[in-house]
Amino acid sequence: MSDRRGTVLVTGGSRGIGLATAERFARRDDVEQVVLVARDSPAFDAAIAHLTEVASPSVKVWPYRLDLADRAGVLDLVDLVHATHGNVDVLVNNAGYTKPEPVHQIDFAEFERTMAVNLYAPFSVIQGLLHAGNRFSLVVNIASTAGLHGRSGWLTYSASKAAVINMSEVLREELAIFGTRVVCISPGRTATDLRRTLAPEEDPSTIMQPEDVAAVIEMLSTDVGRFVDSANLVVRQ
Amino acid sequence: MYTLVLLNGGSGRRMGAPQPKQFIKVNGIPILVYSLVAADAVPEIDQIVLNYPEGWRDDVAALVHDYAIRTRVDLVPAGETRQASVAAALDVCTNDDVVLHEAARPLVRSADFARLIAAPGRNVSYMAPLTFTVAPVDPATHTVTGYLDRDRLRNVQLPQKFSLADLKKGHEFAAGQDVVFTEDATLLAAAGLAVHFVDGADTNIKVTTPTDIHLAVSLLHGQADDE
Repeated sequence: MSDRRGTVLVTGGSRGIGLATAERFARRDDVEQVVLVARDSPAFDAAIAHLTEVASPSVKVWPYRLDLADRAGVLDLVDLVHATHGNVDVLVNNAGYTKPEPVHQIDFAEFERTMAVNLYAPFSVIQGLLHAGNRFSLVVNIASTAGLHGRSGWLTYSASKAAVINMSEVLREELAIFGTRVVCISPGRTATDLRRTLAPEEDPSTIMQPEDVAAVIEMLSTDVGRFVDSANLVVRQ
Repeated sequence: MYTLVLLNGGSGRRMGAPQPKQFIKVNGIPILVYSLVAADAVPEIDQIVLNYPEGWRDDVAALVHDYAIRTRVDLVPAGETRQASVAAALDVCTNDDVVLHEAARPLVRSADFARLIAAPGRNVSYMAPLTFTVAPVDPATHTVTGYLDRDRLRNVQLPQKFSLADLKKGHEFAAGQDVVFTEDATLLAAAGLAVHFVDGADTNIKVTTPTDIHLAVSLLHGQADDE
């Protein structure tokens, strides 16, 4: 049996992996709604315009503008999304933030923001929807290979992604009683804006593209994806 | 439609835990939650009557809230005995047919409730064949007093389903007896009411000791032994 995928919620949908994932789902005939959450920006406007243009006739694209570091805003948004769009079948927690600094130079407020966007926001979206009575079919949390092995200069990012991997392992077990599958994906080097922040000297054309990761995420929601039994799926070129 | 009477009032003395056994965690989740979530996904169940041990109402209500149980839940205080708890719950049931289950059996699945409800007859219990021999004894003298044919015995399991009217008749009968019944299929049979059974799974264990918790976690995880 296929997973339900009538309504798909993607955070951080204005560019990179989030946008590529949203496009994958928006092009499907068995999806009804793609709900996107991202900060207000010209890139998000462009993303919505693009998705609306390429979406299957059966798919409606719904944008919500929010900084995911705003926990109160996240909780309000989750209630609004559930009340407006009904059950979220597939959730892709993709939004990410980083400001790479060595330990001596880390501004604690930046550490807090990193944890807020990368860890607390996915947690709050999941818990808020569960409290609203949502029954997920599939939850995909985007971590990073940087969460598997800490990298010098990336303390805040590595720590936040390690936490996402661990949180996903717990959720995978706890949500099994609802029939929910939880998969964490740890992409390696991917040509995103976040990667440019982490490795500004790198030629993005030489590394994995967001569309490659999006293809794996979409696969997880298909019949064959049900056979992927892994708490943390490493995707790298 | 059916009302689920979910028995949840035990004290957990055998568990040796400081709190009632329904707050014992199996794989990190309160044991009561498993049955609530499984029943919540059964369309034929539109009411859950859930009892609670004295002093623990708010904690039980919080679990129902936190896990966003969509089915209507009515909370009633537990009685002094299991029999008294069932009798008290019957007054709150809004349907003519009742499913009885106990929170101490966390491995129940939605499909188990559905198969029971679909089984012919209104008074039906899951029961499992005995894989061991039971001996009648005189506990005072530690003497074995005879023989029981295990082919004619069953391990009584829950869930069970009953007509509300028959359950009430059975409990009226039981109230006049010297015996305190520990479950309802035999209570109704003793009252002269017809009760049938369907075969239950040996994985539907009752968790009453710390060893049972380990076994339940193992069963939850391992539905499969990988090659």
